[in-house]
Amino acid sequence: MKLVILTKSKEETMKLGEKLAQGLFLKAVITLSGDLGAGKTTLVAGVAKGLKIEEIVTSPTFNILKCYFHKPLSLFHIDAYRLDGVNKDIGLEEFIDGDGVTMIEWPNYIEEMIPLDFLEVIIRNLGNDKRELTFISHGVKHDQLLSFLGENKI
Amino acid sequence: MITILLDSSNRYLSVGIAKGEKLIDQTSYEAWQRQSEMMIPELDKLLKKHHFTKDDIGDVIVAIGPGSYTGVRIALTIAKVIVLALNVPLYGVSSLHAMKLQNKPTIALINARSNRSYIGVFENEKVILKDQIMKNEDVLEYIKKHPEYEITGETEYLEIPAKQVNVLEEMLFLKSFLKPCENSLAIKPVYLKD
Repeated sequence: MKLVILTKSKEETMKLGEKLAQGLFLKAVITLSGDLGAGKTTLVAGVAKGLKIEEIVTSPTFNILKCYFHKPLSLFHIDAYRLDGVNKDIGLEEFIDGDGVTMIEWPNYIEEMIPLDFLEVIIRNLGNDKRELTFISHGVKHDQLLSFLGENKI
Repeated sequence: MITILLDSSNRYLSVGIAKGEKLIDQTSYEAWQRQSEMMIPELDKLLKKHHFTKDDIGDVIVAIGPGSYTGVRIALTIAKVIVLALNVPLYGVSSLHAMKLQNKPTIALINARSNRSYIGVFENEKVILKDQIMKNEDVLEYIKKHPEYEITGETEYLEIPAKQVNVLEEMLFLKSFLKPCENSLAIKPVYLKD
């Protein structure tokens, strides 16, 4: 399934993340692609807010993984950019197949760890604060997530 | 002198203190992905509760894996810091061997994810099948072939029942069959996936 949504501001992108969070489930995996400044971290921040996580979401580029432990769902935010060409065996699969939801920036660097059932998000900068978000679901569980988002978008 | 026992190689955090061959006290609970925050405070609490100080620590036994990538490193790193600071011996025990039952051949299992398991088979100190990573279908086949073996571990992912085991008791038992590490700081965690 595929769904394209346009947002006109950072706030709208956040809101979209919040909506998306309402449909999330244990072991959901969302990959995020888009240029620097496209708004990947903004969408993650929106999801975090939707999951009622109060910590401030910042980019995990340096840390590779940031964990937001929370109930009922924790959020794991991975940025695989720095794993290009180095040993990737650092236990990330324990989080992806763990006790929460995982959002992955630069998923192409850890392709082998992405499960078959996941939601792909491609964000395009249309200038100023306008963004085009393309959601493509792979697998039954994330098809349902995308249907949910389609019915509940802004 | 007392012995410190540490294990964080799986979902649980286990910290214990022993005197000779007797486990005096232990703290053990599920602390998945939070063991790094809890292990030292729990050890501190346990020592204070029994009025021991660091100077009472005679040696350390640690489970070195296989298991969770981060988990196996937490207990081992803390163990290394203690033995380095106090200049006492370190004993490393297989996390799977520490899951054996007493006087019964035991298949010890840990979820290695991606449809694989860490498996080891033991009878007391003896190793029947050495620690390895195995596809879950092969694990189930192995279990079927050996109905006389007991099973331990968190085996919900395989949808089979398992017996409970006190890992620290078994680590203490295994110590008498081990030599302390010659170079404690050089001991590496066992991950098997590398």
